[in-house]
Amino acid sequence: MKTRNLLLAGLLAATALGSSSVAHAQDAVACTGETVTLRILRTPGNYPYPAPMEGWQKENPCVQFEINEVPFAQLADTISVQAASSNPPDILVYDGPNTQSYAASGILLPLTKYLPEGWDEDILPATKTEHSYEGEVYSPGIEQTTVAMYYNKTLLEAAGIKPPQTLEKAWTWAEALEAFKACQQGPASSPTVWGLGPTRFGNGQPGLVYQDLIYQRSAGDPNADPSSSAYKTFWALSPDGKSVTGYLNTPEAVGALTFYRSLFNSEGVAPKVGIPNAFFDGKACFYIDTPAAGNALLKDPKFDWGITPIPHFKTPIVHTGSTTIGVAARSRNPDVAAKFVVDMSWGEYAYMNVSQRGNLPTLKSLFPRFEVYNGYPMKVFVDQLQEWGQPRPPGAKFAQYDKLVTDALRAVAFGGDPAELMGDAEKKVQRVLDR
Amino acid sequence: MKTHPLQRALFVALVIALILCCFLAPYAWIVSSSFKNQLTLFNDVTPLSWKAFFPVEGTLENYRTLFERTNVLRALLNTAIVAGGQVALTLLLCAMAAYSLTRIRFPGAKIVFVMILLTFLLPIEALMVPLYQVVSGLGLSNTLLGIMIPWIASPFGLFLLKQAFEELPVELEDAARIDGAGHVRIFFSIVLPNVKVPMLTLGLITFLFSWNSFLWPLVIVQDPAHQVIQVAIAQQGSPTQLPNWGETFAGATVATLPLILLFLLLQKYFTQGMTTSGIKG
Amino acid sequence: MSVPNILTAASAGTKARARKPVTRRQKRDWVFAAGFLAPFMILLLVFQYVPLVVMAKNSVLDYSLLNPAVAKFVGLRNFTDMIEYEDAAVSFGVTFLFALGVVVTVIPIAFLLALFLNSKLPARGLVRTMIMLPVVTSAVVVATMWSFLLDPSNGLINGVLNLIGVGNQPFLTSTGQALPALIVMTLWQQVGFGAILFLAGLQGLPPELTEAARIDGATKRQVLWNVTIPLLSRTTLFVVVIMTVFSLQAFAPAFLMTQGGPQEATNLIVYHIYNTAFIMQQAGYASALSVVLLLVVLAISTLQMALLRSRWNY
Repeated sequence: MKTRNLLLAGLLAATALGSSSVAHAQDAVACTGETVTLRILRTPGNYPYPAPMEGWQKENPCVQFEINEVPFAQLADTISVQAASSNPPDILVYDGPNTQSYAASGILLPLTKYLPEGWDEDILPATKTEHSYEGEVYSPGIEQTTVAMYYNKTLLEAAGIKPPQTLEKAWTWAEALEAFKACQQGPASSPTVWGLGPTRFGNGQPGLVYQDLIYQRSAGDPNADPSSSAYKTFWALSPDGKSVTGYLNTPEAVGALTFYRSLFNSEGVAPKVGIPNAFFDGKACFYIDTPAAGNALLKDPKFDWGITPIPHFKTPIVHTGSTTIGVAARSRNPDVAAKFVVDMSWGEYAYMNVSQRGNLPTLKSLFPRFEVYNGYPMKVFVDQLQEWGQPRPPGAKFAQYDKLVTDALRAVAFGGDPAELMGDAEKKVQRVLDR
Repeated sequence: MKTHPLQRALFVALVIALILCCFLAPYAWIVSSSFKNQLTLFNDVTPLSWKAFFPVEGTLENYRTLFERTNVLRALLNTAIVAGGQVALTLLLCAMAAYSLTRIRFPGAKIVFVMILLTFLLPIEALMVPLYQVVSGLGLSNTLLGIMIPWIASPFGLFLLKQAFEELPVELEDAARIDGAGHVRIFFSIVLPNVKVPMLTLGLITFLFSWNSFLWPLVIVQDPAHQVIQVAIAQQGSPTQLPNWGETFAGATVATLPLILLFLLLQKYFTQGMTTSGIKG
Repeated sequence: MSVPNILTAASAGTKARARKPVTRRQKRDWVFAAGFLAPFMILLLVFQYVPLVVMAKNSVLDYSLLNPAVAKFVGLRNFTDMIEYEDAAVSFGVTFLFALGVVVTVIPIAFLLALFLNSKLPARGLVRTMIMLPVVTSAVVVATMWSFLLDPSNGLINGVLNLIGVGNQPFLTSTGQALPALIVMTLWQQVGFGAILFLAGLQGLPPELTEAARIDGATKRQVLWNVTIPLLSRTTLFVVVIMTVFSLQAFAPAFLMTQGGPQEATNLIVYHIYNTAFIMQQAGYASALSVVLLLVVLAISTLQMALLRSRWNY
């Protein structure tokens, strides 16, 4: 029937429009065998970067790439949806703490047997732990990162503040608060220059586990008796990853969170909602971010700046982790994809990938090649990573933990009751862990 | 109780001004802010000044970066294709179904009609997860067809057209039938030309629905190359790096302008579609 | 969407005719009718009925979208969980409160606007266009616009409040103000639609009725209360249902403006379902929540149809 043909043609046309384009490397060497296309899912501006990819393609001319980019905020949803689809990507760039969760769901391919000789000795132990699950390594890792506190020297000098530059002299949060208050300009809660600027992660609102769970963890003590609340406060999740009850709603955590809440409310030194580029526009005295911000400022110094270690209550702590790269278990070319991923994380290619954005490498052998990390200010990051670094509480349900605890921390920042909210978060996380 | 005519006029003018302010001010603010730079964006809000609504030192920078850095242009094109395709297929399929139901008597018509009637009450949002499984099971995730296909068989569209078809006098087609015309010819050359206004109304409502839809495209498409404008501007607000707010405003302006223009041009049919659907019954 | 429409359409469709012997031409017609209906019906079955069945099946399973192959049958556990844990009650409660807030604010304001649009006052056309603008603006743009309007330190609304001497309000960052703020936003977006529906109702009233009342000596206000409003009850009920169903299905505000917070104060049910399925990776539980939402909406729609049929079918 005529109309039916019309309909069919319409459907076909619409499908054709829906097909995607393939990215070719510009100077691919002639390929003699069968061509393999690897599909990569990553966030915009993330590795693998073009230079190492093109270099690798010269050695492997039969491999082509198709790149799909999604914003970081959508990354976890996208992976969960695409990994289960009929045509999953071959290579996933994902947030490191999800390794165990993805490995447990069977999304990731174990890469242990593809790793080069000497890898075990060269990799940072924290990275290896975070990227392993039940004895297998699922991601070799490319870069490692953490956060420190940047400051605007001009604004601070005007207020007569000189922050410490080494870990030994690091501020406590109480000292930091005095500095925030002294430097802030304008009325509390709606100043023209904020004491502590908002994050650039997520939608700019407070509460992210990566940045804000360290307040309460810092009030804990890893060397205390394992049954004590101080010990549990520090770890924020039981060692076997099966229990969170008594780990979030502790007296130590509530004390730290009461202070955290005051930053956004009674003291009014930090905003509750995001302000893009606040620190870079000179609208914040202090600002917490990764080395990426420092490297951007080194390239384009907008003003005099410095870095001070993250303040603490009792135990100094910073969270480690970054996005990382892995192979989808259901890839149609697992061997080629694994080779690519391992190559990108080793030797010269690893150097090329790490040096692009300016985070820290995961291979000890690469550290000497990054001169910028040998002296102040950027050395603070290396020191913090080595002395204070802890992964976010790992486990097969990290994504859910992350979401629920972030919601609770944000509610505290907005003025909620810490004990009530952490108690509620414990219940909700426990429900997920029990499933 | 008698009020002075001047007092009354003043009161009416005040009420009209208030209504216009409430509905116009947010648009004026967004559009004017889209021409401002990050640093001055909020300077005119606290304390509030008329400059909040007029970009005194305007810049096109936000629009330039929006089109250069993000895939807004691609998303606009995708949205136009999806909305256009959805309108065309909805009109065709609904009209065909409405023709069968109004012009031909056949057994089972009642069952068919009840089946359609029931879906009218389904909240699609509740079906999102299984619908996702069905559509991606058909291999249609991450395609433009996948965005539009669940909505093409629109019960609303069918009812609207069925009503219009029923009002059409049967005598119109009798002459053609005597001339030996088949159903296909009657459908295309006699029935369709006489229901232009309901078709236009349905087309507009479908376009509006398709252009503004958010939840479903968000779920079914992850690949930015196939993203529609609503998702594109929503995601622009929350990637790793917070965007320049001016850019967010520019994105909102770009996403809204085509529909507003269409609405202003064809307001009569929009309003008609929304009210006839409900009240005339 | 229209329920009154369906009623008349349904009664028209059910006019049965006495059976006669089937002719060849009739048979040809039947084949044709089937062919013309097929594309519509196939899509309807695949995209409305199949998901319904899938949803019912999923609601008794425990699985994640990460790995749907590993699904565990859990019986009614997903439904008992809704009673055992607070999230479902909180989310449905918030959603009902939201719907209630939208309905009780939209109805009077939309009605007043409709009275104004139905009068002979100046600038009617302009006002009608303006109040319809938010209706055709997408939920995403409205949500984006309003997150800035409601910004606790720099928002336009706080700017206006400061002008009249009221201090900055926290709005979306406060458990008490977040939901009311979303209700006001929805009122702003939907009131034009309500007004247009009321206007159509007003224009459909026979003018003789009000004229007769006026001749009998009733004041304008008496006519409004005793004649116009009672006659519009059918329209009112219809607007109530449209606004209720619309509010029950709201998603963008929670997703874009509040992420359901603070402290679940704006955890609207559709956002909760999305979050449960795609972020918490509990697709089975999400399906069970969907089943309940579906039943609620069906109950409201059916109740309305019954009311319309019994009381106002003049």
